Amino acid sequence: MAEQHTLEPDDHAPTTGWVGASVLRKEDARHLDGKGMFVADVIIPRTREIAFVRSNMAHATLIGVTKPEGHAHQVFTAADLGEIDHLTAGPEIAAFRNTVYPPLAEGRVRFAGQTVAMCVAGSRAEAEDLADQVGVDLDPLAVVIDAVDAMKPGAAKVYDSWQDGAFMTSAVKGGDVKAARGKAKFSVRRQFKMARQTCNSLEGRGVLAYYDRRLDELVVYMSTQGPHVMRMALAQCLKIPEHKLRVIAPDVGGGFGGKNRLTPEEIAVVALARQVDYPVRWIEDRREHILASAHAREHWYDITLHADAEGTFLGLEGEVYVDAGAYSLWPVGAFAEASMAARNLPGPYRIQDLEIRNFTVATNKAPLGPYRGVARPGACFVIERMVDELAHEMGIDPMDLRQRNIVTAAELPYTTVGEMVLDTGDYPASLRGAIELINSDAVRARQKQGEPDGRRIGLGFAFYTEQSGHGTAEWTRRKSRVVPGYESCVTRMMPDGTVLLLVGIQSHGQGMETTLAQIAAHELGLKPAQVQVRHGDTGISPFGFGTFASRSIVMAGGAVAKSSRQLADKLRAIGAKLLQCAPEDTTLADGQVMSGSGGVSFAEIGRAAHVRSELLPEDVDPVLEEFATYEPSVSGGAFSYATHAAVVAVDPDTGSVELLDYAVCEDCGTMINPLIVDGQVMGGVTQGIGTALFEEIPYDEQGQPLATTLAEYLLPCASELPRIRVKHLVTPSTFTEYGVKGVGEGGAIAPPGAIVNAISDAFKETGAFFNTTPCTPRRIVAALDAARDAHSSHEVGA
Amino acid sequence: MRIQLELNGDRTRVDVEPRDILADTLREACGLTSVHLGCEHGSCGACTIEIDGQVARSCLILSIAAEGRPVRTLDGLAEDPVMQALKQSFHRKHALQCGFCTPGMLMIARDMIRRHDRLDEATVREGLAGHICRCTGYVGIVDAILDAHASLSDRHADSQADNQAGDRAGDRADHHHETRRAG
Repeated sequence: MAEQHTLEPDDHAPTTGWVGASVLRKEDARHLDGKGMFVADVIIPRTREIAFVRSNMAHATLIGVTKPEGHAHQVFTAADLGEIDHLTAGPEIAAFRNTVYPPLAEGRVRFAGQTVAMCVAGSRAEAEDLADQVGVDLDPLAVVIDAVDAMKPGAAKVYDSWQDGAFMTSAVKGGDVKAARGKAKFSVRRQFKMARQTCNSLEGRGVLAYYDRRLDELVVYMSTQGPHVMRMALAQCLKIPEHKLRVIAPDVGGGFGGKNRLTPEEIAVVALARQVDYPVRWIEDRREHILASAHAREHWYDITLHADAEGTFLGLEGEVYVDAGAYSLWPVGAFAEASMAARNLPGPYRIQDLEIRNFTVATNKAPLGPYRGVARPGACFVIERMVDELAHEMGIDPMDLRQRNIVTAAELPYTTVGEMVLDTGDYPASLRGAIELINSDAVRARQKQGEPDGRRIGLGFAFYTEQSGHGTAEWTRRKSRVVPGYESCVTRMMPDGTVLLLVGIQSHGQGMETTLAQIAAHELGLKPAQVQVRHGDTGISPFGFGTFASRSIVMAGGAVAKSSRQLADKLRAIGAKLLQCAPEDTTLADGQVMSGSGGVSFAEIGRAAHVRSELLPEDVDPVLEEFATYEPSVSGGAFSYATHAAVVAVDPDTGSVELLDYAVCEDCGTMINPLIVDGQVMGGVTQGIGTALFEEIPYDEQGQPLATTLAEYLLPCASELPRIRVKHLVTPSTFTEYGVKGVGEGGAIAPPGAIVNAISDAFKETGAFFNTTPCTPRRIVAALDAARDAHSSHEVGA
Repeated sequence: MRIQLELNGDRTRVDVEPRDILADTLREACGLTSVHLGCEHGSCGACTIEIDGQVARSCLILSIAAEGRPVRTLDGLAEDPVMQALKQSFHRKHALQCGFCTPGMLMIARDMIRRHDRLDEATVREGLAGHICRCTGYVGIVDAILDAHASLSDRHADSQADNQAGDRAGDRADHHHETRRAG
């Protein structure tokens, strides 16, 4: 990876313009001075603190709540919160079983950690003291903790009236898998499990709400990825007219998907703010985050891959179970997990015969939400492990098998059996790129030679595609309750010629204050330093959906380009009059409208447009403000892709894994800012490494979570990681502005596949099968023991 | 109860309860919101400060235990040359995304640089154990610390050369030579 050539936002523009330049981030300075403004940093006088009373049982009838004597006015139950409309959450599909998820429990609790009551006091500690004194009378019910068992006849139920344990059961089918099965020389069947996680943004959730008497509006500071959509939902469920509700997402300390759902604590805090005459806030602590924020992953697979004698894939069939937890979080619950897992299972391979039954199952755990990669880390883990398993069975190199089956550049665009249109790129080139980058020959040589300390070396690869920037077509296909089909931008030039961008997305680490400024600067002939981006506040920006689903650079970037071009046209029209030439003869550069050797500065045009309207052309209105919404012309998504390569050294006695090397050969189309793309990729990879090796929320048989602090829930630190290396291929999209594709999630998708393939490779000859993430030392030793036992019993039998 | 803190060079009196943790006191009573709380149980490092010249996690210190001891937060290091170099390097190496871990990372990075005449990637990575960043994958952070260390060493060497035409190599050639400069 070459050293980045970086530019400051007030440097002179590169000759190619600002698109593609590694501009150092505009948002850095405040954070480096410790002056970021996160929800917990917002000071409103007289604010009182909230602590929640949570269920300590996984499943129980809620008989009653007893408030501590003398403090009843500080304790609130569901009955005390006034009228709340429970929003219907889940897809708009008749077969989906909708549930009511009350902000504070009503009559029943369905997971350990569910909110039962809220306590208000002058400090969090005092509020927690009160919470400890609240009596919660629970009558335990049978507990459901395993999604597969929950679908068996006679299993305990989370919802009594349901015929079985699933929110939804469906199937993704295409072609003729029976015929594929009949033709197959090889049929490899395997089971896999991906553990339950939570996003663990370093800043947890947080809400501060108060009534602003002067403006007659309820102000809600909230750590969210999408303030506009949250406002819409809060307004609906709390019956507040939307023009009297303002949601502000200030600096947000990471989201990764989890902050893109409306959660009960948030509703309860805002509901309380409706009825008290003091500001209230709740700042989630880490225990609450692991216990009760949106959970993620927890998939179980039983999959069979069919192939002919040459290893050509013929078909894929089996089942996917998703442990969705007890409720659906607004807007769409966890329904997309199972169907997206199923649709993405064929990966980039020519598999047109498919039948995957999938089950989104209710259990007594915290509800599932999205987490970076949504479903695809599971799907990629499974298909990429299956490829290696089949290659092992056939006795060939897994990368040869991939090359044999992967869709080539000439076959693109390629419609998958899951009806996704893989658009542009060169997938085989990415495979080759990763082999080269990881220096496969050298790793194989080292592996052959053996380690002096007895550790085993393994090399593994995984490929994925990442649907990004998808709009109306894809989200309506998914029957989404909210269809994020566009983004919006106001490009506003001030009288002095500087620019404000008002955008509907929210940036929480993605660097959009820089990249969107780059795009406007590129279109307007300014420097990024002259463009200020305002986001995350419903009071100042036009409606938009927020940052998730690898969509913001495609959608918001496109909206910025479009509204800035509209403004450019207006600048040229005014500039042409002042320069006494035709608008067609003008260009924009260095903050001026230029024509021939003459130029007129944006400041002069700004002055004319705002305070000297006699200077304007007759057909041009005053003020420099342009609004646009944008959706790519193809709304099924632009597909980024990458091959990841991992080298591990594993101790066969202890099962401990050291990641020796990690390389990524990726293609996200045109990069607006390569420095920021690298950061997104490396950050994603690190979260994927957490999925592969460390992170898990196990539950005991009573439904008690066994990880509630960072001492049990292990997050990757620098000391566990190698230097992640990234190589870029660049195949621009044909239907987005500048040819960009989204890149936010991709890094997190492939690490489980690549790393577990590497561990598997390290013990290839033992017959040990590694099928569960996180692939912990204990699980590795258990898999090696099982293989040894199978081998010796086989010998005894023979 | 009222305690006296020596906070960023100033004597400050604050009201605390015996059970208050220093992180909450610094944030809520003193308004120093550069001290971030990521876990409140000593695992994430976001609340790292300096007390008695040593880095520490302010979520694990009772406020009353800080009585009379010099406490320094990121806010009090604006003029510190090591911190200034680190901020510049963090910016240039894209060592932050959401910015929540950043104050804690800067505090531990400054400590590492002050304690090590020589720094290599492995030492930096080991030194960052227990400091969680969920965004960057740490590559930018590691590079920034090495970059700041190198730029400060150059500056240090230049001033040494100016003052005494000393032996540059001999000054810093020893491996893993650590100097702990308390206070």
